[in-house]
Amino acid sequence: MSVLARPIGGALAAIVGQEAVVDDRAACASAAVDGLAPRWIVRPASLDEVSRVLALAWDAELAVVPRGGGHALELGHPPSRLDLVLDLRRLDHVVEYNPDDLTVTVEAGATMEALTARVGARRQLLPLDPGGVERRTLGGLAATNASGPLRARYGTLRDLLLGVRFVQADGVVTWGGAKVVKSVSGYDVPKLMVGALGTLGVLGELTLRLHPAPPFEATWLAAFKDLAAAQAFIARLVDSTVQPNRVELLNRAALGACGAGDAPAAVAVSIATAEEAVRAQGQMVSRFAREAGATLLPLDASFWTAYGRATTPEGAIALAVGTLVTLVGETAAETERAVAAAGPAAAITGSATLGSLRATFPTVEPRAVRALVERLRALVAPVGGSVIIQRAPAAVRAAVDPWGPLEPDAFALMRGLKDEFDAKRVLNPGRFVGGL
Amino acid sequence: MPLGPGLLDELTRILGPDGLVASEEGRLVYECDMHTFYKGAPDVVALPKSTAEVLAIVRLCRRERVPIVPRGSGTGLIGGAMAPHGGVMIGLNRMTRILEIDLANRSATVQPGLINLWLTRAVQERGWFFAPDPSSQMVSSIGGNVSTNAGGPHCLKYGITANHVLGLELVTGAGEVVRLGGKVADHAGYDLTGVAVGSEGTFGLVTTVTVRLLHTAEAVRTILASFGSIETASEAVSAIIAAGIIPAALEMLDELMIQAINAGTGAAYPKDAGAVLLIELDGPRAEVEAQAERVAAICRERGALDVRVARDEAERALLWKGRKEAAGAVGRLAPTYLLQDAVVPRSRLPEIMRELRAIAERHRVQIANVFHAGDGNLHPLILYDDRNPEELERAKAANEALLHACIAMGGTITGEHGVGLDKVKNLSLQYGDADLNFMARLRGIFDPDRIMNPGKLLPSHPACGEGFRPARPRLPEGAWV
Ligand SMILES: Cc1cc2nc3c(=O)[nH]c(=O)nc-3n(C[C@H](O)[C@H](O)[C@H](O)COP(=O)(O)OP(=O)(O)OC[C@H]3O[C@@H](n4cnc5c(N)ncnc54)[C@H](O)[C@@H]3O)c2cc1C
Repeated sequence: MSVLARPIGGALAAIVGQEAVVDDRAACASAAVDGLAPRWIVRPASLDEVSRVLALAWDAELAVVPRGGGHALELGHPPSRLDLVLDLRRLDHVVEYNPDDLTVTVEAGATMEALTARVGARRQLLPLDPGGVERRTLGGLAATNASGPLRARYGTLRDLLLGVRFVQADGVVTWGGAKVVKSVSGYDVPKLMVGALGTLGVLGELTLRLHPAPPFEATWLAAFKDLAAAQAFIARLVDSTVQPNRVELLNRAALGACGAGDAPAAVAVSIATAEEAVRAQGQMVSRFAREAGATLLPLDASFWTAYGRATTPEGAIALAVGTLVTLVGETAAETERAVAAAGPAAAITGSATLGSLRATFPTVEPRAVRALVERLRALVAPVGGSVIIQRAPAAVRAAVDPWGPLEPDAFALMRGLKDEFDAKRVLNPGRFVGGL
Repeated sequence: MPLGPGLLDELTRILGPDGLVASEEGRLVYECDMHTFYKGAPDVVALPKSTAEVLAIVRLCRRERVPIVPRGSGTGLIGGAMAPHGGVMIGLNRMTRILEIDLANRSATVQPGLINLWLTRAVQERGWFFAPDPSSQMVSSIGGNVSTNAGGPHCLKYGITANHVLGLELVTGAGEVVRLGGKVADHAGYDLTGVAVGSEGTFGLVTTVTVRLLHTAEAVRTILASFGSIETASEAVSAIIAAGIIPAALEMLDELMIQAINAGTGAAYPKDAGAVLLIELDGPRAEVEAQAERVAAICRERGALDVRVARDEAERALLWKGRKEAAGAVGRLAPTYLLQDAVVPRSRLPEIMRELRAIAERHRVQIANVFHAGDGNLHPLILYDDRNPEELERAKAANEALLHACIAMGGTITGEHGVGLDKVKNLSLQYGDADLNFMARLRGIFDPDRIMNPGKLLPSHPACGEGFRPARPRLPEGAWV
């Protein structure tokens, strides 16, 4: 323990109360991020406490990792240093819910489950469904810009976050955006905070756009003889008036993991709106499937729960592969081959009409992961695609850049932002792109 | 600030003699946008044809510390594309090419000077469209739409420009060309595309835009419902949303506006109505039909005097005609008006309309209203006679009162037009020192010398000044450092 450690611990306790500062060795070890144990775990109960903890951290140049549900701590580079884990789960209030305006303001530590319970009672929803979403916090979801199948219709948090209150690295509480569904006054600061992994500020309070829950929903599965046939079906769907809310591509391994049958490739489509419109569009989708040589089978709504679980297996490596819509079949096939060359079979899923794929597979050697990631990066580079390691053991993320290369000029701006707003590298140091 | 002759020579070398407008009369054309209240002609107008030319101009201006004002079509309503401090205006209306249309990947890449509607025209026969539809879409540029983050009647369902921009090429105020985002949806790093949209030319010049295109809906249904009062019409709006229906557009007109339109355009909205709702639903046919029935029923339940459903495209156009010509029609009531676009939470519409009437009375002005009711985005037109300076003062006072009232209800000072010069003094109604300071420093990343569109968007507030730092929280006594 350094000379300063004791007085800092005392100062932290003076801010959040003794019981909200944990410094015993075992607890800190279990809060380690990528093997790095913090010296303190601090559990603030208000935005004001977050602000004062960060002001202290800034002055003492402590490295802070904010955490919510702890779901995405295996994202990004391992932190370059770590003193304090800022556990935000006590900031879990729904601050203001305006059902008539379809807006809600929540504290960053509120879980999706809590929010859904609250707004679901009014038949409204925050349409965000990455795997394991229930236990994830809104702050964590926003910081990682996590999304799931529903983004095909509703977009991502980038499209749903209206306003944000965050605490800058030096402790200054800052607000950006607005509390109404439409605003262009000043810069769109919320966009900057989504997906920034808390490296420009710790998210404290989020104002979100809600949507009405659709009155009726149906899901179908079309199984294909290969990924190319699935691609033809997707192309047909894109060039049509069908308005699905999910269009997910699955390879054989993913299909098996969901317990939905055995085929080289499949596409799961769901449509949600007035019942008669669901049926009419279902007939259209069924025709497209037939034309692409497949039969459309109805699926139970519980499929999506199984799907969420199957696409986020514990302990697996997860890659996000961004490519063109017209290349999803090809990219999925090449991803299968690249992972197979390293040993395991990859389960591949993803938003087909957006070109956002996800591959999960059991952990293999860091060197093997590097080889396959580099192969896939080379594949998607010509179309401006990306391969991001969303989850992997620390050793893997130490061996392979989890974010991949960026355009040097764009990266120079990003570094400029980090230098401006966190010159001391207090927030999540080292974890973000280019080691920011 | 007069430019040195050396600078003009260098600009001529970059652009050729027909790439510059330097004459007195020529420059006057560029002295304002459509908010003609604010005037300021640039010292010279440069009309580049390529990113390389834009870059060369920016580097030159940066070297000489000369302000740059980007301009698209000049249809802005905020005092944006005008030069209060002189300098070089860069007009992008010679960069109008569609660089790529890729329907299979649902996107297009265009130059910034391309007129919004031309993009939709280029793809509509194949069943596609570009969703942002500002009422100025026949004349405003996509670069201007991106820079103001423009909205339109149909953004209730489809979202505003930011929701449709996938990538940008930007020549920053630092004199660098950066490519942000792109056709592929996911990128690592900060969402610089997202913050650059709506930056009103204060980060740099947008020289290429990659947008999302959408497939045209199978069916459209347009409904016109008239009500006795704004209050009952507002209740119908809430009831439609509460029924889980998000129409493509949900527009409201008040009594004064209806009268002006009926007198001016022959659109023939119901004469004795206190408010008219124009509701458009689009999507799969069966959905639209089911929802149209529901909407019509809701309007009747809420006391609509009259509900009309357009039976064909011609009837639909007639229902929209009045709405589209609203701003022109008020010309019959008064020579000039101030137009605002503040937003309130939708549920506060009846309240803000009452407040508006009180403000109009207090300041002895007439206020006509036509607005995007679905998202609470007001468009009050405060009428005045510009030949009477005292009337202008009253109109301005009413305008300020109105912005304050919207903020007091939890709203925002601008929902789609932007800040520009017009609302720069009002930004601090909505943001504190720390928030303004964050924005000013954000701008500095892209434009370190603050040569890009100076005086717009960011107020000359102490918190926006060089070196300002907001107050930090107090730490416990006797701390340790
Ligand atoms: C009749 C009428 C109806 C309108 N209806 C709507 C509406 O429904 N919704 C709405 O949102 N707006 C509306 N507007 C306002 C205006 O049309 C929009 O703000 C539009 O986006 C401006 O586009 P422009 O090409 O005319 O831009 P300009 O007016 O030329 O410029 C607008 C701002 O963007 C900057 N700029 C322009 N091009 C670039 C570029 N390439 N790079 C960097 N900065 C740039 C300028 O410096 C300026 O600050 C309306 C205007 C009129 C006159």
